[in-house]
Amino acid sequence: MSPKDIVKLTRRDFLATNASGLGALALASLFKADGLLAAEPAAGADAAPPFTPASHFAPKAKNCIFIFMEGAPSQMDLFDPKPKLNEMNGQKLPDSMLEKVRFAFIQKEGARLMGSPRTFTRHGQCGMELSDLLPHLGTCADDIALIRSMHTDQFNHHPGQLMMQCGSSMFDRPTMGSWLNYGLGSESKNLPGYVVLTAGRGTSGGASLWSSGFLPSDYAGVLFRNKGDPVLNLSNPPGITERMQHYGLDAITDLNKLRHQKVRDPEIASRISAYELAFRMQTAAPELTDLAGESAATMDAYGIDRVEPEIKGANRGGGSGQFKTFATNCLLARRLVERGVRFVNIFHASWDHHSNLEAELGFNSRMADQPIAALLKDLKQRGLLDETLVVWGSEFGRTPLGENRVGYQAVTGRDHHPFAFSLWMAGGGVKGGQVIGETDDIGWNIVKDPVHVNDLHATILHLFGLDHTRLTYRFQGRDFRLTDVAGKVVNKLLA
Amino acid sequence: MTIASQLCSEAPPGRAGTFGALFVAFVVSAASTSAAIDFARDIKPILAERCYGCHGPDKQKSGLRLDRKDEALLGGDSGPSIVPRDAAKSLLFAHVSGAEPDSIMPPESEGDPLTPTQVALIKAWIDEGAVWPDEAPTELARSTHWSFQPPVRNAPPAVTNTHWPRTPIDHFVLARLEQENIAPSPVADRSTLIRRLSYDLLGLPPSPEEVRAFVADRRPDAYEQLVDRLLASPHYGERWGRHWLDLARYADSDGYEKDTPRPYAYLYRDWVIDAINRDVPFDQFTIEQLAGDLLPGAGHEQKVATGFHRQTLLNKEGGVDQEEYRNKAVVDRVDTTGAVWLGLTVGCAECHTHKFDPITQREFFQLFAFFNNADDKDIPAPTEQELAIYHAAKTQWDSTRAPLQQRYDDYVRNMLPAQQAAWEATGTLDLAVWNALPPVSAAAAQLTTLSTLPDYSVLASGMSPLTESYTVAARWPGASPTHATPLSGFRLEVLPEASSNTGPGRSGNGNFVLTGFELRVQAADGASSRTVTFSKASADFSQKDWAVAGVIDADPKTGWAISPQNKRRHVAVFECAEPLLLNAGETLVFSLDQQFGNQHTLLRFRLSATSAPLPLAPSLIDDGVAIAWNTPPAHRTSAHQAALATYFRDEVDPDARKLRQPLDALAKTEPKYPETKVAVLAERPTPRETHVHVRGDFLRPGPRVEPATPKVLHPLAARAATPDRLDLARWLVDERNPLTSRVTVNHIWKHLFGRGLVVSVNDFGTQGERPSHPELIDWLATEFPRLGWSRKALLKLIVSSATYQQSSDYRSDLIEVDPLNTLLARQSRLRLEAEIIRDAHLTASGLLARKVGGPSVRPPLPADIAALGYANSVKWRESEGEDRFRRGMYIFFQRTVPYPMLMTFDAPNSTATCTRRDRSNTPLQALTLWNDPVFFDAARALARRLMLEPTPDARLERAFEICLARSPSEAELARLRQLYDDQKRLTLEQPDSATAILGVGGDTALPTDPIAQASLVATVRTIMNLDEFITRD
Repeated sequence: MSPKDIVKLTRRDFLATNASGLGALALASLFKADGLLAAEPAAGADAAPPFTPASHFAPKAKNCIFIFMEGAPSQMDLFDPKPKLNEMNGQKLPDSMLEKVRFAFIQKEGARLMGSPRTFTRHGQCGMELSDLLPHLGTCADDIALIRSMHTDQFNHHPGQLMMQCGSSMFDRPTMGSWLNYGLGSESKNLPGYVVLTAGRGTSGGASLWSSGFLPSDYAGVLFRNKGDPVLNLSNPPGITERMQHYGLDAITDLNKLRHQKVRDPEIASRISAYELAFRMQTAAPELTDLAGESAATMDAYGIDRVEPEIKGANRGGGSGQFKTFATNCLLARRLVERGVRFVNIFHASWDHHSNLEAELGFNSRMADQPIAALLKDLKQRGLLDETLVVWGSEFGRTPLGENRVGYQAVTGRDHHPFAFSLWMAGGGVKGGQVIGETDDIGWNIVKDPVHVNDLHATILHLFGLDHTRLTYRFQGRDFRLTDVAGKVVNKLLA
Repeated sequence: MTIASQLCSEAPPGRAGTFGALFVAFVVSAASTSAAIDFARDIKPILAERCYGCHGPDKQKSGLRLDRKDEALLGGDSGPSIVPRDAAKSLLFAHVSGAEPDSIMPPESEGDPLTPTQVALIKAWIDEGAVWPDEAPTELARSTHWSFQPPVRNAPPAVTNTHWPRTPIDHFVLARLEQENIAPSPVADRSTLIRRLSYDLLGLPPSPEEVRAFVADRRPDAYEQLVDRLLASPHYGERWGRHWLDLARYADSDGYEKDTPRPYAYLYRDWVIDAINRDVPFDQFTIEQLAGDLLPGAGHEQKVATGFHRQTLLNKEGGVDQEEYRNKAVVDRVDTTGAVWLGLTVGCAECHTHKFDPITQREFFQLFAFFNNADDKDIPAPTEQELAIYHAAKTQWDSTRAPLQQRYDDYVRNMLPAQQAAWEATGTLDLAVWNALPPVSAAAAQLTTLSTLPDYSVLASGMSPLTESYTVAARWPGASPTHATPLSGFRLEVLPEASSNTGPGRSGNGNFVLTGFELRVQAADGASSRTVTFSKASADFSQKDWAVAGVIDADPKTGWAISPQNKRRHVAVFECAEPLLLNAGETLVFSLDQQFGNQHTLLRFRLSATSAPLPLAPSLIDDGVAIAWNTPPAHRTSAHQAALATYFRDEVDPDARKLRQPLDALAKTEPKYPETKVAVLAERPTPRETHVHVRGDFLRPGPRVEPATPKVLHPLAARAATPDRLDLARWLVDERNPLTSRVTVNHIWKHLFGRGLVVSVNDFGTQGERPSHPELIDWLATEFPRLGWSRKALLKLIVSSATYQQSSDYRSDLIEVDPLNTLLARQSRLRLEAEIIRDAHLTASGLLARKVGGPSVRPPLPADIAALGYANSVKWRESEGEDRFRRGMYIFFQRTVPYPMLMTFDAPNSTATCTRRDRSNTPLQALTLWNDPVFFDAARALARRLMLEPTPDARLERAFEICLARSPSEAELARLRQLYDDQKRLTLEQPDSATAILGVGGDTALPTDPIAQASLVATVRTIMNLDEFITRD
């Protein structure tokens, strides 16, 4: 029996006993995914969204754009100024500090602190300090809540990315995007509720970073492609015209209906509506990626056609064209949330600067800074920022120690650092213009307001009107949640 | 000593007053009962009242549980809570007594601290030895949960409708239905039956001819004959093998960031297909996969079988702690074994005692211990074809080589000794005598550790800084105080490390750069020293642009390196500008500078000196030769003689060299033994210690445990004092095991009915579902071993049942009463699995390559999908020829970039065992079926086949038969005809589209009637998109 069947059964039990708890929304969403509701008369081709989203309490955010900078950007070169670290450049750390720490590559005994060459300036009315690599983002400082006190449990990339996406480094757990769609469904009737956009070289985690885990595969992220069709198999096969396709679809529907008359399996009705949605997607997705309607001012603001600098070796194997792809992805993210897509995940790889940090971080920042700032402003100007939560983050941060890795001729980078790193959020009910948390003088440990990944997830769900302890899914005899067994809402973040 | 005096004598001085008061209180309470502390009377009530709330059956804060003896002694996350006879070391006492003021237990929020009497009792009890009667384990073992009881074989119940049952199964099902007053469904029509059987047993649809033959076959045993024929097909092993591969989390790559391909993973898959086709009994099938390597006289196939547990993921991401991921793999092996055979979520007990099922954390690690002692090993596994090619080539090569070798050997044996004697009598030896210098001290400027070996070489170890400078002090080894003849030069030998296959440098590939080589001669008093100037440096080999002359020039950026001739010995010799005469007690102090960076430092080296006349040759010849030469013949040892013989043969005698040349040339063409290797498990000769991982953290070892099975189940019969994997495997299939047979028949049932008799196929524990037909699952669980654990026999039994053969049509009378078809009053309609959907398309099109087994294939994949792999690590080289049209189960499964179509249709991602696949129904599936080039190609090929039929109607009817194993109804045919006419009209409107649809043009000839054929493509692809096409009714 598939989980779906279980749902059919539990729905009965549920509706009989408790019509207002959380299960209702999860189930409503499942029914939608199953097409059970779609099979009912309401689900004509142009009907309203197949169910009404519901929440535990009043939501602030409706959609989320999660910008995932895969590889771990250096927080002390971007977000967390450490003058003392600069003073201590080249010094050793006391052995007592290093005793129990594990590194991926640093050789502890010879490691030395490494200051940052960046200059930090204050931005906005709030006076948020940001590095000179982020001039555009600085102009949005008053909309941003910067967390300098993030921490996580993992210090290798793939497990760390799973942790950030799923709240656990175990495989087969649903991602945040899956949970949100499971809890709230999608408002888009022509596009998937969870869209993934990528640029740069591939991520460490591959498809596991947008997997639905043990949730039905309907809740998995759908990868939109940068070239050709935005969705796989969106184009008609060769020679098959639009009308041929339409006639064919009508025949499929009719023949499926004939079959349904005989065997009366509700699954056939679901199949019919899935084909109808697929057909709508064939129109909606190309419309989505057609930027012809965007003004020249908008295109310029996002920097779609900027000249990509040639910095030798600085694009880390991502190939040329990353500037354009990333900027386009930011613009597409706005277009997606405009069309009701619940969760947009933008990936860019890689920020894993074990060496050549200065040049490569510079390259990546030049690529990312302008489009992201443009996205925030564009959302705001269109009145979408209030209901769109934008999150910028990665799996962990980088060490204040320079990386003296075996095989390196010189120390030009930093290693993985899970104990303290930075992440920011904007819009969607987040109180902007503030910095949350502090790290110590060298950025090694958090000294104030630590925010664990589970806390971040609890807060994000809260912004969507969901109680992280009640958004659960029963699997293998246990109720699972995005926040595993932990997580506290960070109230300071809430507007 | 009485308890009371013990209390007093051990009271710390500062707290004597407190303990004095305690003493009084204690005497009062203890005196009224007895002298010794009784756990049940004195201690348990305290723990129960004050501790169980947080450390009892419901909660185990900090991993501590005090209501079970073994768990309490095991302790919590902070370590052992009770150390018998040592209260001072017992955390329990420390916390309740207030010795740890920051964490007094119970905490303030839980009320007052324990009374002094209670604290005293606990201390006394612990110091007396913490006697705790053994009651807990028996409590645990007395589970009344249904699945832990042995299956009971009841006689099939009597039924009213005695005509319906065909097998005992039907009695159980019908009896239940009759209780509910529900009639079973009629038998499905024959075309549905053969299609159902073909999909269930082979995963392939029947051909229209097979359908017709079966429909027409009126023999009473026609159905049985069909079942037998299908079970004998090699495709049966593919179908049921793939089900098993879901459990085995089979994949063709490592997973995680690097996701390295496993090109030979398929050898395990081949084993599975073959074992299932041979109907290897399930008990043997189990034993070979879990412990085939430990079977007496284990053959290659038994070892290959252990690949089951080699399907675990492997993280080669830079900087990972290999031990962490080794532990993760072992945990996964325990989880998977628990899920697949026991149907238990034992993995829950990794971090804490199972909250619902009677499995403790200690028991989890006792299971862990079985697998902790297995090493991953890759053993040679050339295929027969590879071996045949190799042996043929090797025989040929050997036969070419033999006469050459013979001639050489003959010469060496017969002619050489005389030549050597002549040389020794009259020849000369132009080899310097080198004396190795014994180091007095060796030190590094930075963090490297230097040590001296018995052969006077110096070895670097420990930290490996980017740059280094070594200082080695040495004395002349000969007779003290001085050497008669002056020294003419020095030699630096750089040496590889054979044990680690590295060196002579410490860089990743074994290279180094020597940027400076200086020598000072230090006087005996250490006060003064003089510097030795070198006039020339030469080496046996120098890397391009890194000539040894750079060592003695003034430029620190130049120096000596040896790549690509790494991992072997090299020498550099330095000639003194003036002869060097040593004075009494003088020390030679060498400085070896290595300032290039990137750890291009020396790993192992040796310093020598010579008095030989200049110029000095940087010769690699063994120093023993010169020593032997200078030894008078009468005093030469056999080692001396051997050194001279080898030297003469290899370096001096021209004829021997001439004869050896063709042999050396031939050696380069020696055929290589096939590289194919299969991943297996191998038991470690010395067992690895296993500890409980506190909270599942492998860096926090708890108490040590030995391999053992959970107490709640039957006892383990071990062959030796310490049980091993083979004992565990046999324990799993022991007839006393209440779970394995139940779980396995339930899996098989699930594949035939869409759901198990126990719906939670992976959880037979207390949180799992109860069986819908308890007596039936028990009957089947006892029948399976009676059938000799034969899967084929069990399958035949089940598919022969009337229950299985029912129609799957929905029934309006059941929608309210039994919406999930729990009672089995009909069959189920099941969407085909991902791989089978591909197989259905390829079969209908006639493109399917029916080859069984072999390496995985890579059908076309959109280019940017492969690019999603980390840093372009995924190379997707498309297969050619028939490999483009292999069954879905052979598609190369790259874990981070799985084949999109498979994932769209709910194939497992193979990161963990998959006991149940989803059957989702999504728009992406519609897009895939509708537009995927692979499926469109299938429609084209199907249309080509159909053009052999005379008329459009005949073609459409035939298409229906091929795809759906039945004829269309009038209404269906009419609808198809209408579509065909519409498509034809549209094609005629745009004649270009016909060639595009058919994919012809250029070199490909147009078919006779392109318009008709193109219209047919556009029509039949709708049949391939029908719900019915991807559903087994």
